[in-house]
Amino acid sequence: MNDKPTSPLALTVNGREVSAVVEPRTHLADFLREQQLLTGTNIGCEQGVCGACTVLVDGVPTRSCITWAVSCQGAEVRTIESFDEDETMAELRAAFTAEHALQCGYCTPGMLATARDIVTRLPQADEARIRLELSGNLCRCTGYVGLVRAIGRVLEARRQRNLVEA
Amino acid sequence: MNAPLAETRAQGIGVALPRKEDDRFMRGRGGYVGNIRMVGMVDVAFVRSPVAHGRIRAIEKPEGCEGAVYTLADLEGVQPIVANSGLAGFKCSAQPVLAGDKVRQVGEMIAMCVADNRAAAEDIAAQVFVDFDELPAVVDMLAARRAGSALVHEEWGDNVFLETFIDADLDDIRSKAAIKVSRKLRTARQSMAPMEGRGVVAHWDHRLGQLIVYTSAQMPHINRTGIAGCLGLDEGQVRVVAPDVGGGFGYKGILLPEEVCVAWLAIKLGRPVRWLEDRREQLTANANCREHDYDITAYADGDGRLLAVDCEATVDSGAYSSYPFSACLEAAQVGSILPGPYKMEKYRCRTWSVATNKPPILPYRGVARTGVCYAIETVMDAIAVQAGLEPWEVRMRNLVLPQEMPYDNITRKHFDSGDYPECLRRAVEAIALPAVRERQRRGEADGRRIGVGLAIFCEQGAHGTSVYHGWGIPMVPGREPVTLRLTPDGVLEIRAGVHSHGQGMETTLAQIAHEVLGIAIDKVRVLLGDTGITPYSTGTWGSRSIVMAGSAVGVACKELKARLIKIGAHLLKDEPAMVTWQAGAVVGPHGWKRIADIARTWYLQPQLLPADVDPRGLEVSTTYQARRDSGTFSYACHAVVVAVDTALGKVELLDYVVVEDGGVLINPLVVDGQVYGGAAQGIGTALYEEMRYSEDGQPLASTLADYILPGATEVPAIRIEHMETPAPYTEFGQKGIGESGAIGSPAAIANAVNDALRPLGVEINQLPITPRAIVEALAAASAASATQGRNA
Amino acid sequence: MKAAAFDYARPASGDEAVALLAAGAGMAKALGGGQSLGPMMNLRLAQPDSLVDLRAIAELRGCRRDTAGGVETVLIGACTTHADIEDGRFDDPSRGFLPRVAAGIAYRAVRNRGTVGGSLAHADPAADWVNAMAVAGADILVQGPAGRRTVAAADWLQGAFTPALAEDEIVLGVRLAQWSAAARWSYYKFNRKTGEFAEAIAAFVVDPALDLCRGLIGALDGPPRVIADARGLLAALQAGDPAAADAELAAAGLPPGSYEHHIHRAALQRAAAQLKGNA
Repeated sequence: MNDKPTSPLALTVNGREVSAVVEPRTHLADFLREQQLLTGTNIGCEQGVCGACTVLVDGVPTRSCITWAVSCQGAEVRTIESFDEDETMAELRAAFTAEHALQCGYCTPGMLATARDIVTRLPQADEARIRLELSGNLCRCTGYVGLVRAIGRVLEARRQRNLVEA
Repeated sequence: MNAPLAETRAQGIGVALPRKEDDRFMRGRGGYVGNIRMVGMVDVAFVRSPVAHGRIRAIEKPEGCEGAVYTLADLEGVQPIVANSGLAGFKCSAQPVLAGDKVRQVGEMIAMCVADNRAAAEDIAAQVFVDFDELPAVVDMLAARRAGSALVHEEWGDNVFLETFIDADLDDIRSKAAIKVSRKLRTARQSMAPMEGRGVVAHWDHRLGQLIVYTSAQMPHINRTGIAGCLGLDEGQVRVVAPDVGGGFGYKGILLPEEVCVAWLAIKLGRPVRWLEDRREQLTANANCREHDYDITAYADGDGRLLAVDCEATVDSGAYSSYPFSACLEAAQVGSILPGPYKMEKYRCRTWSVATNKPPILPYRGVARTGVCYAIETVMDAIAVQAGLEPWEVRMRNLVLPQEMPYDNITRKHFDSGDYPECLRRAVEAIALPAVRERQRRGEADGRRIGVGLAIFCEQGAHGTSVYHGWGIPMVPGREPVTLRLTPDGVLEIRAGVHSHGQGMETTLAQIAHEVLGIAIDKVRVLLGDTGITPYSTGTWGSRSIVMAGSAVGVACKELKARLIKIGAHLLKDEPAMVTWQAGAVVGPHGWKRIADIARTWYLQPQLLPADVDPRGLEVSTTYQARRDSGTFSYACHAVVVAVDTALGKVELLDYVVVEDGGVLINPLVVDGQVYGGAAQGIGTALYEEMRYSEDGQPLASTLADYILPGATEVPAIRIEHMETPAPYTEFGQKGIGESGAIGSPAAIANAVNDALRPLGVEINQLPITPRAIVEALAAASAASATQGRNA
Repeated sequence: MKAAAFDYARPASGDEAVALLAAGAGMAKALGGGQSLGPMMNLRLAQPDSLVDLRAIAELRGCRRDTAGGVETVLIGACTTHADIEDGRFDDPSRGFLPRVAAGIAYRAVRNRGTVGGSLAHADPAADWVNAMAVAGADILVQGPAGRRTVAAADWLQGAFTPALAEDEIVLGVRLAQWSAAARWSYYKFNRKTGEFAEAIAAFVVDPALDLCRGLIGALDGPPRVIADARGLLAALQAGDPAAADAELAAAGLPPGSYEHHIHRAALQRAAAQLKGNA
């Protein structure tokens, strides 16, 4: 009895060109999770508040739960699964584990997407700025202490390297 | 001869080891329930009650979709959820897994709709028509106690699940007390709000003849018992798997009607069925926590020495008694722990667990301790004001002293060890109290008012059989089991019935194994959450796992070590007395045998084993009970400095210190994480989180934009200092501290805000302390003083 | 929750979009970034039959600077994202006012996708652009079946979630006059936590070159209170007389003595003080 409208969709997911037919009401997170089987993107609220589902769309952090998949026609989407070899993400992963920036792990993929955006976009960010930029990603486990320290640690290391390189 | 390895201390108890479990989460490979994909899996959406209280006259299934909609009438033979308290006078509530003739809360499940995906299931649910006769809703717990209130369960005759009373004659106290302070205090109903909601995937495995239920749960064995009971299956026919769990905090310590429904449907349909709770369901329909009301009076002498506490406490338990903790755990705890870490002559406390037309409550991190700490620490500050003392001075005069440990307090809680005054002293020092007082005197350039607040408390954790039996809950924990097994290549498998939902037990239990056996932690696999492969346990709750399961691992590892030594010595052709255990190997005068050498021998070269080898081999199952089951008592002092913007009512946390004694720390990194996270949740309790209801029982927060959780800008850079007084009754001296952070922060913050507002004649006596509460209280105070001025 | 089913179209021009909306007979909705509509649809509070995605319409992107009648203006395309404005990827006529406002909207991930036009069309009285554009004296350009028209941003909100926009109209962009070097502005938002919608907004914009001295009381139950000539109020507030705001606060519908009255008055005082600081 599937009489619901569908739309064709072509986009790039983690570097792979994908063609699909979706119901327009399918949000990007569900498309990634249910149709692409990329379950690393966790759904936390479907209200655009918690940030757990944050992925990169055309290079910038985006709430996948309030972004319709069909509106991502032609977009490049990157999920947490695509960052295994990413150098910045490797640095963040090392800092996250050293600073105990995750407990249950549910917010972590979205946190890492946001963290990567912070360290690449705002190289001079201080603690207050890190907290501000992180405010759209909720964590119920860590009290943000380890998260803020981990991001600060990566920023500091990058600043040190840039000084050395300069 | 040198030892084969020399890394013993690097991975054992006390090492701040990064966690083994992190990597999969950071690569998006966490195994949450929602990530399970099965061929033919269908999704469920529930029709939930839009009214708080009503009789169901009729349920109409939508035309053409009748086969996709199930009501209680379809669930033949399925038993309701019952969680009776063993305490005398308890009134039973039976919660049908789908509503019968009546709904008692908004969000109560009425029908189950199934479709190929959740959106389609919701489409069907939207077309199910339910005809109600609405009944007056019972919303406020104090009104619910009054005669003439509408009744949530008519057959009771009132709305009280249970009333308890610890009586004492206070006449002499009243006559001699120089100081008497009374407060009426209220804590808001909250949602625990783990980042991952609940979720269930169930299917019937024909080969095993078993219902397999994947569920996001803290206590999978208890869920198994409950599901089997409701469905009339043997427990052997049910396997419950709690995979990676995205946060628990008490929210996932429950048998869900959804679990029973989904499991039933999986059997009925013969295919995998899934239900994933969404945030709206979580906030509006499912369990809440924390709603307490206190009418408390404390008596002290002129020096601020506590003489007695007299309290009437009411807990809003919601519509039903949840399994297994029941509707009364919270109030029972209030009665027994209200005295906190203080000494007093007399104690009197009456409690009511009240039924209302709201979701059931569950014990949230800290359970009643958070409300209790808020109540007792508020009156301690009030005594300080009356006595003209600093709040810390009053506390110092009343705390149990280290030389009195172990100490049985007025409610016969057995404080095991520690130095409470030192904890307080260090917190006062760390928060730099004189500097804060000076800053207060100076005033702020921006006009904000500075306040400083303290809260000191102890946390009974890992309490066992006698305590829970005394609290009357239907699930009483006993000895904690664990099973160890070596593989032929020397990997140690630890199977434990507790579960980890962020606590890092894959790492910390491995650290304990390393401590005893010297085995590298990457050669230790910790298996949790699956009733098919782990021993029966009540699970993870009550700050118990590292004490109970951790100790059990230690005991089992010692047993395993003895067996390994015996085989190893034989292989080395030495007497057992001639060899030693060093860094994961049996070391004798002529050489060594590693764990892997011995394991290979046991499994694959048994001809080399000694004739009198222990026939139980390299698998150890044991259970653990602390030498006393009255629980460990960790304790902490929170000290906080706030700035209150009196024009907008906004509170900023300027500095936050926790001095914590959790006994011997297994992994300080993990312990700190628990304290930070708990304190952040307490900040939510103190300032932000509030599940409000309209007069007709409608929940007023259905999104995370309405139910405000603290974010990175709302939680300060908390500082922690540790004390480490070993617990006298546990295997390694460790204490439970998982809930600690969430206990002290609301009290400390409330005291700080009230310290800031005291010169303005204002005290806020409710949580959360919202901008509206502050602004309105200040406006009322200034209006009152204006009136007084006019009248003078 | 999942959204109810809907059709989806991605027109390439404003004309096409308007035709699609008109054909929807009230049950079609325009989609910008969807950052407000998405949550409402997921909750099934909004259940349009179809969405008309405006993001592929070239004319709604970018900025256009014009001089007409001696006034230099900038038209900011409706599909400009909050992050574009925050980061300065647009032609800013406001001397930093709009980027400052943009940076305070929700969270970065929302700003990356949410659009100025979408926010205006959503017309939440507690959102930033409906208030900021009103105090800035902007005009909102709208296209419908009958052609294009302009609405003063101060008149945009008819009520909560009710813009001066017909169901078959779309927002093309926002036009602001170029502010002079002497322009000063302030924007004070009070919310319970970072990124949350405002409980109170107050703002002032002063540009002698444009003869502009406007104030605003925003985040009300309905339209913001725009104070077209705020000179007296500003002077009184800066002189330390908060009672001077009472008449405007009353006109904004805020009952004296109420929490709302208190916080809006405090926000106004602070916006006035900020402006002083900017001078």
